Amino acid sequence: MIRRNALILLLAAAVLPLWGNSADLEKYEKALLASPDDLRTGNDYRQAVIKAKEYDRCIAFFEKLTAANPDASNAFLNFGFAYVDKIPDAGSITQVILANTALAHFTKSIEIQPSWIALYTRGNSYLYWPKIFGRAHLGVADLEKAMEMQRKDSVKSYHIRSYISLGDGYWKMDDIEKARAIWQEGAKHFPSDAQLKARLSREGDELKEYIDDVLDPNKRVNTDLHELWEAR
Amino acid sequence: MRRPLLFGGGCVVFFTAALLFAATADRWFEDVTKNAGVAFPHTNRSFENKYAHIMEGYTALGAAAAVADYNGDGFDDVFVTDSKDGGKNRLYRNNGDFSFTDVAEQAGVADGNDANNASAYALWFDMNNNGRPDLFVVRFGQNLLYENLGNGRFRDITAKAGLTRYMNAISAIAFDYDRDGRLDLFVGSYFQPVNLFNPDTPRFFPESFETANNGGGLTVFRNNGDGTFTDATKKAGFELAGWTLDIGHADADNDGDEDLYLAADFGTDRFFINNGDGTFTDITETAIGIDSKKGMNVDWGDFDGDGLLDIYVTNITDDYMREGNFLWRNNGPDDKGLLSFNDVSRETGTFNTGWGWAGKFLDYDNDGLLDIYVVNGWVSASEESYVPDIFEMVTRPGIDFADARNWPPMGKKSLSGYQKKRMFHNEGNGGFRDHAARHGIDSTRDGRGIAVADFDNDGRLDMFVTNANAEPYLYRNTIPLGTSRNWVQFHLEGTKSNRQAVGAQIRVRAGGRQQLSFVNGGNGFASQSMQRVHFGLGTAAQLESVEVRWPSGARQTFPNLPVNRIHKIVEGGNPLAFDAKAQK
Repeated sequence: MIRRNALILLLAAAVLPLWGNSADLEKYEKALLASPDDLRTGNDYRQAVIKAKEYDRCIAFFEKLTAANPDASNAFLNFGFAYVDKIPDAGSITQVILANTALAHFTKSIEIQPSWIALYTRGNSYLYWPKIFGRAHLGVADLEKAMEMQRKDSVKSYHIRSYISLGDGYWKMDDIEKARAIWQEGAKHFPSDAQLKARLSREGDELKEYIDDVLDPNKRVNTDLHELWEAR
Repeated sequence: MRRPLLFGGGCVVFFTAALLFAATADRWFEDVTKNAGVAFPHTNRSFENKYAHIMEGYTALGAAAAVADYNGDGFDDVFVTDSKDGGKNRLYRNNGDFSFTDVAEQAGVADGNDANNASAYALWFDMNNNGRPDLFVVRFGQNLLYENLGNGRFRDITAKAGLTRYMNAISAIAFDYDRDGRLDLFVGSYFQPVNLFNPDTPRFFPESFETANNGGGLTVFRNNGDGTFTDATKKAGFELAGWTLDIGHADADNDGDEDLYLAADFGTDRFFINNGDGTFTDITETAIGIDSKKGMNVDWGDFDGDGLLDIYVTNITDDYMREGNFLWRNNGPDDKGLLSFNDVSRETGTFNTGWGWAGKFLDYDNDGLLDIYVVNGWVSASEESYVPDIFEMVTRPGIDFADARNWPPMGKKSLSGYQKKRMFHNEGNGGFRDHAARHGIDSTRDGRGIAVADFDNDGRLDMFVTNANAEPYLYRNTIPLGTSRNWVQFHLEGTKSNRQAVGAQIRVRAGGRQQLSFVNGGNGFASQSMQRVHFGLGTAAQLESVEVRWPSGARQTFPNLPVNRIHKIVEGGNPLAFDAKAQK
């Protein structure tokens, strides 16, 4: 049964190109109704939604999908991302509401299945919250778990994300030594990564300005997960 | 043993003194507030109703200053508002030596605050074209109109003028929108017209943080020319219910009539084009787009010298809310006549001014380029922040924001407090650089208004800065004048046009460059700057030409006027020397 489902997922992924036309969103939705926990189709659906700017449709779809499939960890993950995808188009206060709702869905995803991507995602999301909310330590806790997982795995290209974010989390908690240490560890595995280089080459206000800019909620966060299945 | 020690000590003293001298010499504003006699502090209104826990924090407004030469002695005076119950508003008469005397009581304009009204702003405008600026006091509650009697006294003519109305207003400007030669009043209101001091409903707070439409909107009072005004809001094309914080006018498309930008808190700023027939059209979507920010200030100036007036709007930028300001660069009308603006605040470096309030264009160093001074900060109180409280409310599902009972008490907590003011110096390369700290004008009080004026008529622009719940600042400009900092000012007087000449544009050509400015009718949050039009000229020692375009449509051009002086021009006449006793 598991094998059959996996095959369906692979076939679905192979067949569905990344549509940007809003009329084609329905096709993704049909595919997801057939395979609610399909992370990749959910991801491609969201990328198409971003192109079509149909954020509310996407949120409504995942709301129904997760209600009907309360154990679909990846559906909850995509549900959370659907809120994140809407953030740049929202006003400053709505951004907070969207981000907070996204966190709730990421948490549900982790409760069902504490995967690397879910932990990384929630941990990274916490870092976008201003210091005053005191959420950076929650982000660091998730990212440390994700780091623990990836250290037991062979190095994948997407692991760079945890090195960057965990360092940012330490930096947000004013532990610059730990931040530098984890960025340096990342640089050993990914010596040519520009984002790590940028952090390691900056200090003080310059570093703050850089990270603040990276964590600017007005800028679109890249929620495309294609790296996961294209990983080397 | 002693000698080296003494020598060393002397060296330290000398070095320190040298540093101090260097710092002072490099600092071009001097805080003269106390010596000038204008240090009376503003006090926020306290409330005693059941929403008092939230009301004081959310009405921490009302520290305003309005500049005009009310007694015609050639020196600009300042009217300054207080907000506490029983608090006296001040009319600081300029003594001509950078000292001021509060004459509000004698003049009959001191009593603007009582149990049912709190002063929020003030505007000078010559309502009857008699050459004497009259005073409009804008209040949470009912506004007041004082007629300037010309003998140092004023008379309350609010009722006679037909302006008695509960409005909860926060801003006002006066310009001649229908070009009939009379100044009309545009009044922006923040709250709906509920009695804030004893509300009969709890639902008088903004219904949304981004699209609120339950505020006070905009009211247009058309000047009938007989001492009365008529509400012409709908007829002029306005039906707004936003939380207006500021309004600003200028001729954006150089077609001879005044257009309007409205900055709204909790929602969309609006841009209206004047149709030239006494009506306006809302062209927000095509001109500036729909925003959801917290617009606080509107000022107009041609910062890039392209002959089109641009707009500066402050919003909120902090760790928890990164809206950024707008510096709307005017693109002018396109081939189809459609006017549009681009926000260039990020690339010019004027994006982040914290929780911004007034932001004024001024050429403080007379280099011929418009700089921008911005004041900021909402409530500076204890170290504890109000941000988590407000966000706890914001993220509560199904919350009714309009209900004041749902808003958490502010107590002594701070919200975007202790923010440093900015003086963006126009670098002439498309960018600005903050010079506030260098000039000692980067205070952390909760700034509200910036009235720019040349209080001693010396060709250097001074600033009267109002602060909520604190003393104001009077900054005297001490920039070393000389051949590289020439200047000129124009005092215009309309004959066919409104006498105050509001809306008149002046284009000066000097040193091969053209500059554009205009007489504005009170633009900028919580502050009205001087009516005279000032130009910094840099090294230009002569004005090649000066063109005045009057609101009546008449144009006059004057070649070869001398620099470093104030010229008075009466519509249709030749330039005159400004009052000699007042001109240094």
